[in-house]
Amino acid sequence: MSARSSAVTRERFMQRHVIVSQERKKEGRKTRSKETIMKLNEKSVAHYATCNSPPDKTGFLFKKGERNTAYHRRWFILKGNMLFYFEERESREPIGVIVLEGCTVELCESESEEFAFAVKFDCVKARVYKMAAENQAAMESWVKALSRASFDYMRLVVKELERQLEEVQEEARSSQAKNKPKKHQPQVQGATFSLQNAAITGPSQEGVSSRENGVSWSKPTSVPNGVSEGCVWEGDFCGRGDGVKPPPVPPRRKTNGGSPESPVSPGTGCFSKLHEWYGKEVAELRIEWMQSK
Amino acid sequence: MRFNEKELVFLSRQPPERAAELGMRGPKKGDVVKRRLVKLIVNFLFYFRTDEDEPIGALLLEQCRVEREDDQVFSIVFLDEAERKYLFECDSQEQCVEWIDAVVKASYEFMRKNLIYYRTEIHRLTGKDPLEQYGISDETRFQVNSGLPPPPT
Repeated sequence: MSARSSAVTRERFMQRHVIVSQERKKEGRKTRSKETIMKLNEKSVAHYATCNSPPDKTGFLFKKGERNTAYHRRWFILKGNMLFYFEERESREPIGVIVLEGCTVELCESESEEFAFAVKFDCVKARVYKMAAENQAAMESWVKALSRASFDYMRLVVKELERQLEEVQEEARSSQAKNKPKKHQPQVQGATFSLQNAAITGPSQEGVSSRENGVSWSKPTSVPNGVSEGCVWEGDFCGRGDGVKPPPVPPRRKTNGGSPESPVSPGTGCFSKLHEWYGKEVAELRIEWMQSK
Repeated sequence: MRFNEKELVFLSRQPPERAAELGMRGPKKGDVVKRRLVKLIVNFLFYFRTDEDEPIGALLLEQCRVEREDDQVFSIVFLDEAERKYLFECDSQEQCVEWIDAVVKASYEFMRKNLIYYRTEIHRLTGKDPLEQYGISDETRFQVNSGLPPPPT
């Protein structure tokens, strides 16, 4: 951008800031000392936090203040890729939200807080969100939940399952065509690191988060129409026959060519590899933690 | 409500799912149609002045409804304020249909529903939970039904 046009842009931003602060004053809100350049549909975002769609995780965490370096106890609600925080559990509106895209979650050293971790973003001058849990289990649970909260991660999991279902359906079709009895169930591709993950989590810790947030998957007993007790099916996706069309394919994010594969960058198309990284990361953090105590 | 603006602006610079110049009209009375560069990235719709690098604003696409308003026009409405419509004017019917499709699929909750469907179907056909091998079958976000409120801590 030329010097002139960037000056023009800067001027427009300042003008916009004036308009935004005037609007905020009209609404009776104090303008933040930091400049607000970008608008967001804040009311609807706040509504998403408190509406009746089930959250992915909730709980108290200590959060380090922006200007004030003290840790404040806040009520957190994680929904999808949005981490909301409230002053109190009963508060009707969140104080703020952290959008969890393009971030990593790490354990961190803190002089004042045990069980501290940080959410770090991959952009210039990004803020580091430091938080602390109340105990080891809570910390591990939050670290795991937050590192899997991105839209990209969910998209990868969905794509992988879509691929697997196609494989399974193709297998079913071809064996039907051959009119042979199926000798074995179609194999679903596995990842090799799952043992590692099991070692970290263990049933007791996973049990904590499942109990906290709702009904966990229970294996359906064999029932003719495929619907079991203990599971309530959402929407129209009840176990129908083979004639049902699968839902539309979720969009694939186009990535820059040659972006290095890493747990953070979305360039990784290989699902097993991505999981290996997540599993390894958590395993390493745990070892670090145990050693630092 | 505070939000991590810098990081959102950084997100708006990532490769978009879809981007185009559209006519956009805000939801307030008196808002007029303006030409904007509209970018769809994860579950956000960013909109820019056509000659600027930094977005004017962003819309989080959760708890919203997308509707065809006209041959070439679609609207986005948020469920908490259903009277307020954001209008988008496309250059063709085809473009309009494509955008509607893309915006509908751009929500986290939509993806979650897909996942549950695939997980259920695979389990029904194979007897195996496809998430077990990755050690994530107990993850809350993949549950078939987590409609129960969390118990008090």
